[in-house]
Amino acid sequence: MNKDKTRRKTWMEDFLGDIKMSRRSFIKASTATGAAVAVGSGLKPELKALAVAAPSGAGEMGQWLSATCQGCTSWCSKQVYVIDGRAVKVRGNPHSKVNNGAGCPRSHLGIQQVYDPDRIKTPMKRTNPKKGRSEDPKFVPISWDEALNTIADKIMELRNNNETHKYMLMRGRYSYMRDVLYDRMTKIIGSPNNISHSSLCAEAEKFGPYYTEGIWSYRQYDVLNAHYVLLWGADPLAANRQVSYYSKVWGDVVDKATIAIVEPRLSASAGKADEWLPIKPGQDGALAVAISHILLTEGLWYKPFVGDFSEGKNLFINGQMVDEEAFEEIHTNGIVKYWNIELKDKTPEWASEITGLSVDQIRRVATGFGLAAPHAISWLGGGPCMQVRGGYTAMAVHALNGIVGAVDNFGGTLKANKEYTTKFPKPDDFMDEIAKKGKKHEKIDQRGRLHIPCIKSGKPGSGVITNNAADGILNDDPYQIKVAIGYMNNFSFSAPQPERWERALSKIPFLVHITTNASEFSWFSDIVLPDTHHMFEKWGYVKAIGNGYRHVTLMQPIVKNVWDYKIDETEIPWLLAEKMAERGFDNLLRHYKEYRDPETGKEPTNEKEFALYSLKFVTQNLWDPAKYKGGDKFSGWEEFITVGVWNSNPYPFRKRWGKMKTKTGMFEFYSETLKAALEKHAEKHGATVDEVMKATNYLARGDIAFIPHYEEPYILGDEKEYPFIHVDHKSRLNREGRSANCSWYYDFKDLDPGDEIWDDVAKINPVDAEKMGIGSGDRIKLSSPTGSLICTAKLWEGVRPGTVAKCYGQGHWAYGRLASKKFGKEPRGGSSNDLIPAQYEALSGSSAYYAVTRIKIERV
Amino acid sequence: MPRYAMVIDLQRCVGCGSCSISCRNENNVSEGVYWSHKITETSGKFPNVRYHYIPTLCNHCENPPCVRGCPTQAMHKLDNGITMHDPNKCIGCRYCMINCPYGVIYFNWKNAHSAWKAENSLIKGVTSSPAEEVRKTGGKGIPYYNPERNVTLAGIRPKGVVEKCTFCDHRVNEGKLPRCVEACPADARIFGDLDNPQSQVNQLLGKFRPFRLKEAVGTEPAVFYIRDFSAAGYPRTKGGV
Repeated sequence: MNKDKTRRKTWMEDFLGDIKMSRRSFIKASTATGAAVAVGSGLKPELKALAVAAPSGAGEMGQWLSATCQGCTSWCSKQVYVIDGRAVKVRGNPHSKVNNGAGCPRSHLGIQQVYDPDRIKTPMKRTNPKKGRSEDPKFVPISWDEALNTIADKIMELRNNNETHKYMLMRGRYSYMRDVLYDRMTKIIGSPNNISHSSLCAEAEKFGPYYTEGIWSYRQYDVLNAHYVLLWGADPLAANRQVSYYSKVWGDVVDKATIAIVEPRLSASAGKADEWLPIKPGQDGALAVAISHILLTEGLWYKPFVGDFSEGKNLFINGQMVDEEAFEEIHTNGIVKYWNIELKDKTPEWASEITGLSVDQIRRVATGFGLAAPHAISWLGGGPCMQVRGGYTAMAVHALNGIVGAVDNFGGTLKANKEYTTKFPKPDDFMDEIAKKGKKHEKIDQRGRLHIPCIKSGKPGSGVITNNAADGILNDDPYQIKVAIGYMNNFSFSAPQPERWERALSKIPFLVHITTNASEFSWFSDIVLPDTHHMFEKWGYVKAIGNGYRHVTLMQPIVKNVWDYKIDETEIPWLLAEKMAERGFDNLLRHYKEYRDPETGKEPTNEKEFALYSLKFVTQNLWDPAKYKGGDKFSGWEEFITVGVWNSNPYPFRKRWGKMKTKTGMFEFYSETLKAALEKHAEKHGATVDEVMKATNYLARGDIAFIPHYEEPYILGDEKEYPFIHVDHKSRLNREGRSANCSWYYDFKDLDPGDEIWDDVAKINPVDAEKMGIGSGDRIKLSSPTGSLICTAKLWEGVRPGTVAKCYGQGHWAYGRLASKKFGKEPRGGSSNDLIPAQYEALSGSSAYYAVTRIKIERV
Repeated sequence: MPRYAMVIDLQRCVGCGSCSISCRNENNVSEGVYWSHKITETSGKFPNVRYHYIPTLCNHCENPPCVRGCPTQAMHKLDNGITMHDPNKCIGCRYCMINCPYGVIYFNWKNAHSAWKAENSLIKGVTSSPAEEVRKTGGKGIPYYNPERNVTLAGIRPKGVVEKCTFCDHRVNEGKLPRCVEACPADARIFGDLDNPQSQVNQLLGKFRPFRLKEAVGTEPAVFYIRDFSAAGYPRTKGGV
């Protein structure tokens, strides 16, 4: 039968004279060429122009359309194969210079998410007035109109009672359309409470780079030009950031560079590295300062960046102070202070005791790292710094880049390239007196109080401390929250000690959730609105970095929506603005009308136009040739959405040497920037910096508070009662917390080294397990001082004895039929967060997820 | 006629499984069936422990025991070297599964994608049901059904027959690479024609000493592995007595 097909095709080839054409695809190609293909519910064609990313080839029944994946924060540019408005498969977008056509495994699970039968089809409201973990909300379907009317009424009630500050917006998974809902709507209503999830993500990871290099952001690493890559608690082959790119090039990197991974468990990346440093959780700071000590005593610091002793002789001798005058520093600040105050006695022997690593390995890694300078990367992940005392560890790890001159350098650590998207129009003219007054209140997450400085980018009280908002709500401190909206967040699952959020959310009189699935957060909501899926159903954009570039990648509605979803960040706020205008408050609607279509100058007249125009508005510099500023050039909007991604100019190496956004303009080992920030915070509270250190649970006192240094980790739980340190990690199949209802998640779960399919395992070293008489497959209960979970034991050699490694992602008790064992009642597996206490790296406001609790194991 | 083969570069492979999941997607394969799969091993004792990963699939052997033992020639070789299956001739005897030394053939004990037949919704009137989702999307059997698979082989195989990797013959016919090759982010899978001396597969087979699975049993697989998953260096030493 195959032979017949082949013969027929050859005949057809001769007839049509084109090797790739079949008759069917010939017809498809001629209709699809260049034209807009309207799909979806009665939409004007120009609003749903499906720009075909790649012309349909032979045998192709569908079209590749450009998209973006937000399965993790790699934010790759993608293409989705769509047949008759139906998504079939996903691949990387070859036009992106960041992920370069590559796609990680989690991207494919988006296909199961978009057609998840447990997605919410229509708005629903709670009919059971009681709220609680064990209270079935008894949701019933309602119309969009009823839902929006109710929400608008509740917001207007706050406005009419001059209590607008009691409105709260919780942001979860966002695009850069976020400010429409998160910022503008919150401000124009008149509340200070735009609360993001960022401190559940990795703010402490930005703390290190900011107070040394002056960048409060994630980095990209020039791995293909590196000779040594030292990763700390980062697993780029499995999770964050730019998994697709690093997966693509890793095989080449192992050829050219020595890769060393500091990680308590054998991660996916550690499996393909030269050195695995199985460090005791919480002790990364000790290793970082010991490596720094060796770099200085061995004379391995990079002289063109750091400088040198004017006499040439290396005076960094173990245990000896150094005269600052003896050293001429070039692009850094405080290397001698760093040595004198912290590094001088931090020998590898000292570190070996504390870290559990051999002196040999510490020396070997430090020396190898130093000899590779400046093409030596110290890659800070979330592991070492999302800990209670992780702020200074973050600095110490990132400061290694300063010592070896890798900052902004070939084969080193780079920041994000310039891009040219703009902001939305300002809200100021639309904020009335009520709004201005309301906004002046303290935020519900209490950021900036003495014990939680949250000094983002040098400004005390500016960083979010997400998990603490639960306490603010529970204690009505500073005031009660009466009306709250959360979108694509799930704090009662994703935050440490989520049980507090269950109580906090139960307390809020009116709660709205915008979500694709009824999750643990929805359970406490009064109204739930069905959200679009970012990869297939939404207009938006995000930016990402990798490979020396930055890309801006588009989200587009490219499939036929199966049910009645609306876009979280644009369509829903517009509709609410309309409802509020009907009720006499039209400030928000008038503000949104300023987001005109740059091509026609037209004001949006409905939510669909608003969603599209707002995207065109902020990306105009990228697609409009008249506004061209740099990077890829497009002929216009049509070409932009066809290609789906804009790439920046190549990386400008070494441009920031001596021009960093720090107080001194230099790379700071002695951080004048942190000193200024801490002093500002202390002054605000009439306190000393030492008192701030005490309040934030740091041991540093005096000058050492301004430099990277080792702090003993703060880990809850008595060692005798809780013998194991809990090691949390992420899965290469997690799409943040949202892939647990996909069958492919479970069928392929053993792609995480040591894990098992269709099971939720805690990985235990066999030596530890034997002592407890536990075998693989046994049902066990893990308990910490905070909570407990039930899962399965797995004996695995890739676990440091004295620790237990368990992957985050399972343990949902809502979300869907696969995610939970009994929807709304019983979890499938166990959630790490139930073990983890609500603790913080208080200087950044980050939640502490790692090296923060001990646990015990019992057979059940 | 070409003689198709695949070279898998274990140094590039990062063990991510995009190959297996995208294959599952492309070929409408049901849960529990792995046309593309893996062999993993955690070797050694802490802290001298490594993790290894070998991607696996049908080897499209030149000397295929599955074809030789098939009583109905449902399992057969195509001219281009692909070991293909015809469900219309398959009687479900599963001799092929017994004969295959690699365990890459799967039997449909039940109807595929049975979970998608469920009609229950979790929240009445608010959430959908698997069956309703399939109906509404217009996918056959599953919402994300790929009809292109159906051109040369039943898009979803019926109960009572076997199935396995076909080197994406339906794509190869159209001049496209197998889905796993396209989807691999690391470019660790290289496809090509052994009868073309200039093909990349031949270049790689010449450059490296490849190995094949269970070489000794004489199946002559067309899937070759080069280099090592673990490319680690180690401190120079002569050991000691």
